[in-house]
Formats: sequence, structure tokens, C-alpha cells
Amino acid sequence: MRGHAKTLIVVATVGALAGLAPSSRAVPVFARKYGFNCTMCHSSYPRLNDFGQRFRRNGYRIPGRESVEKMVYEAQAPFAMRTSAGYNSETYRNLPDATDVSQFQLNGLDVLSAGLLGPNAGYFAVYTPEIKGARGVAPQTGMLESANVILTAKNTTWFTARIGRFEPAYAAFSVKRSLTVAPYEVYDFSSPNGVPFSDTQTGIEIAGWGRNGYRYAAGVVNGSGSNNDSDAPLDFYARGEKVFGSGEGQTAGQRLGFTVYRGIARPGPGMTRKSFTRLGVDTSLNLGAWSLGAQFLHGEDHKDLWAADRTVTFDGGFAELLYQPTTHIVGFARYDWVSTPADLRAGVSRWTVGSRYYLEDSVAIHLEYSARSQSPVSSGMGHATERLFTLRMDFGF
Amino acid sequence: MRRMTIALVAFGVLLWLAGPVRSPADGRLFANGHLGVVPVPVDNPMDAAKVELGKQLYFDKRLSKDGTVSCATCHRPDHGWADSTPVSAGIGNQKGGRNAPTVLNSAYWPLQFWDGRARSLEEQALGPIQNPVEMGMTMVEALGRIQTIPGYVEQFQRIFGTGPTEEGIAKAIAAFERTVISTNAPYDRYLRGERSAMSAAAVRGMNLFNGKAHCTPCHSGPNFTDGQFHNLGVGYANGKFADEGRYAVTKDPKDLGAFKTPGLRSVAENPPYLHDGSEKTLADVVEFYNRGGVPNPNLDPLIVPLHLTAREKADLVAFLEALTGEPVKVAEPKLPPSNP
Repeated sequence: MRGHAKTLIVVATVGALAGLAPSSRAVPVFARKYGFNCTMCHSSYPRLNDFGQRFRRNGYRIPGRESVEKMVYEAQAPFAMRTSAGYNSETYRNLPDATDVSQFQLNGLDVLSAGLLGPNAGYFAVYTPEIKGARGVAPQTGMLESANVILTAKNTTWFTARIGRFEPAYAAFSVKRSLTVAPYEVYDFSSPNGVPFSDTQTGIEIAGWGRNGYRYAAGVVNGSGSNNDSDAPLDFYARGEKVFGSGEGQTAGQRLGFTVYRGIARPGPGMTRKSFTRLGVDTSLNLGAWSLGAQFLHGEDHKDLWAADRTVTFDGGFAELLYQPTTHIVGFARYDWVSTPADLRAGVSRWTVGSRYYLEDSVAIHLEYSARSQSPVSSGMGHATERLFTLRMDFGF
Repeated sequence: MRRMTIALVAFGVLLWLAGPVRSPADGRLFANGHLGVVPVPVDNPMDAAKVELGKQLYFDKRLSKDGTVSCATCHRPDHGWADSTPVSAGIGNQKGGRNAPTVLNSAYWPLQFWDGRARSLEEQALGPIQNPVEMGMTMVEALGRIQTIPGYVEQFQRIFGTGPTEEGIAKAIAAFERTVISTNAPYDRYLRGERSAMSAAAVRGMNLFNGKAHCTPCHSGPNFTDGQFHNLGVGYANGKFADEGRYAVTKDPKDLGAFKTPGLRSVAENPPYLHDGSEKTLADVVEFYNRGGVPNPNLDPLIVPLHLTAREKADLVAFLEALTGEPVKVAEPKLPPSNP
């Protein structure tokens, strides 16, 4: 009963805060600054459209309007919040440590702040407060998920630098702005102490783009959390893209890209660091209301990272189809897979389908079903399966 | 749980400090608002006599070489103070290179002409008189003609304390143009709280204008223009621009093919559109933007394909039509007779 009371208090508080902005079509941080609708930058919140992508990489400045931008100390307080609440059902088979879930639940909380610090310096920060799990409240690890400054050059678009903790460019499809609750499996796949592509990273990334459709990004980051504090950052990555046609390959234009990542992780405490490599190609194809995104990733890990007797290689990826006939509704379907050597018992396949209906630009009813199957975790067992169903309100304010 | 509650309360305080969320439903588009007082330069204060003189000069075809063209010929009061053809016909039926921009609310523009080559209405006013394909006069010729018209001489003497001068002509015409203001459109009434002033389609269009259609970054402010120059690719073909646009003024390669953002007040009244008049209707213009302009090496980064549905396009047009202000009633003045 006490758990229910807490849940009610939390939901009521969030609802009351949401009530402060009864007609909040605007995305909190930037839309409040400009008086824009969310759909200025998002095809379907939180997914960016082409304009939003250009705004983000331009250091959170409207391209071509840099001279009239307001700094954070001239605009309204640049804070916002995102959360979601609704019904979650998770059903597991042949996964000994997993427990079924069936409950109304508050699903985490992000506190965001972003803006311009100066004419050529923007920042973006996301803090996720620590939340102790309870019935009705999903647990969340407290951390500074993102906190970075992006510096832009005055006279060229070929050089920007993002410094701090950020979502690196090597993930061709943004994990943080994905429409689905189900994760991109291949981005989450790593050796036991490795670095998932879905994580934010701390380091430096330089990037640039031209009017010819070419874009690049390269960075050096700390890499795996298994490294010691005294270990020099030795994870490097590079990414290249070519966009054909107008747009950024978000909702317009056709994008081809590649990613190379070379990193180092420790198999365990006190052990020497071992290398791993990721090579990826991706595409984003857009035709009217349809968008098709696809990612293929090849991984090669030192055998010690998996306690295997040979170098471990795996392949994986996903294909994601989006259909958005109007600004109010978007449907999505995705197939994820990861193929690994049989003895690794880690191969995964997942189907995800769902839709989001936007009551307002930043208030969505989210419906999703996802079925995941993993190689048997031990001999004699069947495939480990997970069924996820969620119906929730996702909102930012 | 306790930390989360503290965080929520703290965030509530931050939101309270931040003030109310800007709601596009209230029509505040990119710091938009009501039109302010018409800016008037200190060296050309407004007065009724000067405005009346400017009106006469605006309508007077004697300021053109062959006596067939006045300012009002191309900037027609009965057509939203612009021309109904893609490019206007000047003396000898010569064709100009660009669509005649509206005079409506030009008083608010920081720069005049599609390429912004004039810094004031005063500077602009003398341009067409001396343009060989528009009115085809030299200022010496124009002044000579006006000096032969006693009614003008008398007015110049009374208003400026001198006979007709180049500066006086410019100031008088500019003063008149500062009275050609579009205001009190359904959109303005909607902003003032008259929710029935705009149709549901227009309100939807307003939200698209400020969202998915990406209009407000350029068409911002109460006059719906940023006063800046943008390349939409209009007239670009075979690797060349038919018109260099702002580049002709600045010689900055970034300005190649860029033209001034026109204001949108009463835009429904003055088709055709774009600097070359190549789009006949508002629906055509919306479709042009929906395609993402014309790809070219200098295309403005704000221009991307929009994927608007048919209903969304119609809603945008409904909103643009809701920017139509009350008619600016200007009767053609009685002109002073030539030297009898």
C-alpha cells in the first residue's frame, strides 16, 4: 500500500508539473527559447528531422541565424524534463535471473539543460537522478548521462568540437532519440566488460560537413568502464557519411555511412587490456512518409574479453521501417539480430512493432510490442525469450 | 524516492522561475508579436503635406521617360501594392528582371529591393525612376520635369523650403510609402484573444508554419521576415543562377542566388510569388517549399523537403490568407497639372 501511495505521489507531482504547461506543444529547452513547435526539429519527438539534425550539429544554433541567437543568460531558464508512465508487461522464459513484470510504472526521469554559452559555444546536459525501484517505479541509476560543450568555427562548417560526455557519432542511429523502448540489440552487444555502443562516452569528438553531402566525425574517448582511471584513453573512432539529395537522411535525403571503432578493455580487474574492433555500414532511405534505416555491424574481440579460446567475431544489425503519415502518428517496425559463435550462447533476434500517437507535439501515447529470442543460456535449455508490451504516456515539458 | 521527490520539486521551482511555456497556440511565433510603430528616420519626419506630395509623385507617370509608368504601375494599390505579372513592364513595354515586391509594410524592412541594395525607402524611391527599363529617367530629367509643374514647385517650397530636389522627391515618396501599412489581420485579432478570428484550418496552419513547415526561422517577427537573404535555388539551372541576387551587392560567394525574405503581411493579395514571380499561387509556393526548393551548391541550410500532406498544405495556405490585413484605402490623387 505504501508503494502505491508513493507511486501516486510521484505521478500526481509529475502531472501537476505537466499541468503548468497545458498547451506545451513546444519542446522544453529549445522550443521555449525560440517559441517554436516541437515539430520544427522533431519529425516525431524525440526523433530529429533534418532541420533538427542541422540545428544540433550547428552547436544548437539555427543555421544561418547565428548572429541573432540568444545566449542562456538572455533567454528563459534552459531546463526541461522527460519521463514516461504507463503499463508495462515483461514476460521471460528460460532466463533464470529474470522476473516477470506486470504493472503500471513510472519509467525513469531525465532532466535536461541546453543552450548557448556564447556565439560559438553551445552545451547540452542530461542528468538522470537515482531512483530506487519499487512497485510502480522503475529503478534508475543516478548519473550525468550527458554534459558536453560544442564549439563551432566561425568561418567553416568542416570543424566542430564536442567535449565532455556525449552521444558519440559512431552510433549511426541515435539511441537516445529512438522511438522504441526496445533497444538496438547490436548497439547493446559487447563483451562482458566492454563498451556498448548505446552508452554515452566521455572524450572529444570533432566533426564537420559540407554542402556536397559529405560529413565526418572522429573522436577519442575513455571507452570501457573496465579500464583503470590511470589508463590513457585509447578508444578511437571515425565515421563518414554521404547524403544524396536534400536533407540529412533523417526524413529527407538518402544517407550512406560507415563507422570504424577501435577500443581497449580489461577482461577483468588486474588483467591487461585487450583490443576490440567494430566496423559498421548503415543507410537511411526516405520516401515521402516512409523511412527505412538499416545498420550492419561487424565485431571482433580479443579472445580474453570473452574468456574464449580464439578471437571472437560477431555480426549484427537491424532494419527499421517508420511510417509517419501526419505529425500526429508514427508507426514503427524493426528487426534486430546478432549472430555469434554458437558456444558464446549470445545470439539474439528481436522483432519490435508499435506506434506513437501525439496528443501534443511532446506528449505521445506509446504502444509497443517486442519479442526477443536469445540462444539457450545453457545446454539442455530452450531459447531464452522475452516479450515486452508497453502502453505509456511519454512526455517532455 | 526522496531524491526523486526533491528533484521534482526543484524542477518545479525552475519551471516557475522560467515563466510560462510559450505556446504557439497563442500565436507567438519566434518572438513574434504585434507590429510596432512605423520606424521613421529622424531626418524625414512625417507630416500630412509631405505624405500627400509623396502620394502624388507615386502616382505620377510624368516621372517616367515616355509618361507611361509611375510607381503605382508596378506597385499597384489594387493588387496588394505589387504587380500581377511575374515581372513588370516598364517604358516601351520593356520587361524587368524581378517580380515587383509589395510596398505594403516595406517601412519595416531594414533593406529594400530583393537584393537589399537600398538602405532606406528614401534610397529605394529613386531607383526605379533611373532604371532604364522601368521609368528610364535621369534625376536631372526628372527634376527638370517637376520644376515645370507649378503645383509641385509650390508644395516642395512649402514642405522643404526649397524647390524640387532629388532629396525632396525621395523623402516625399518614402513618407507616403510609410503610410501603406497592412494591419489588423485575422491573425492580429487572434493574437488579441479573438479566437474566432482564424479558422481551425488557419490555426492548424499556424502551428505548421511554426513547426513542421519550418517557416518561422526566416519569416519571423511581426512582419514575418527576418530581413535576411536566403538561397532557395529559384532560377538555378544548368549549374548557373539566372540572377545573382544579393551577391551582386556584396560580392560574397555565400550570397550567390540569395534574395531577401519577403514579409508575409497580406501576402494573399499580391501573387505571383518569389523574386522572379515564378510561382503563381500561395499553394504553388507551399509546394515549392515542400519539395525543398531547388537543390544547388548554395542552398540555404534551412531549406529541406517537408513531406507535407495535402491537408497540411491547405492549412498553411489558410494561415497565410489569415495574414491579410484591412485594405489600405488610397484613392488615386488629383495630380497638379503640367505648366499650362
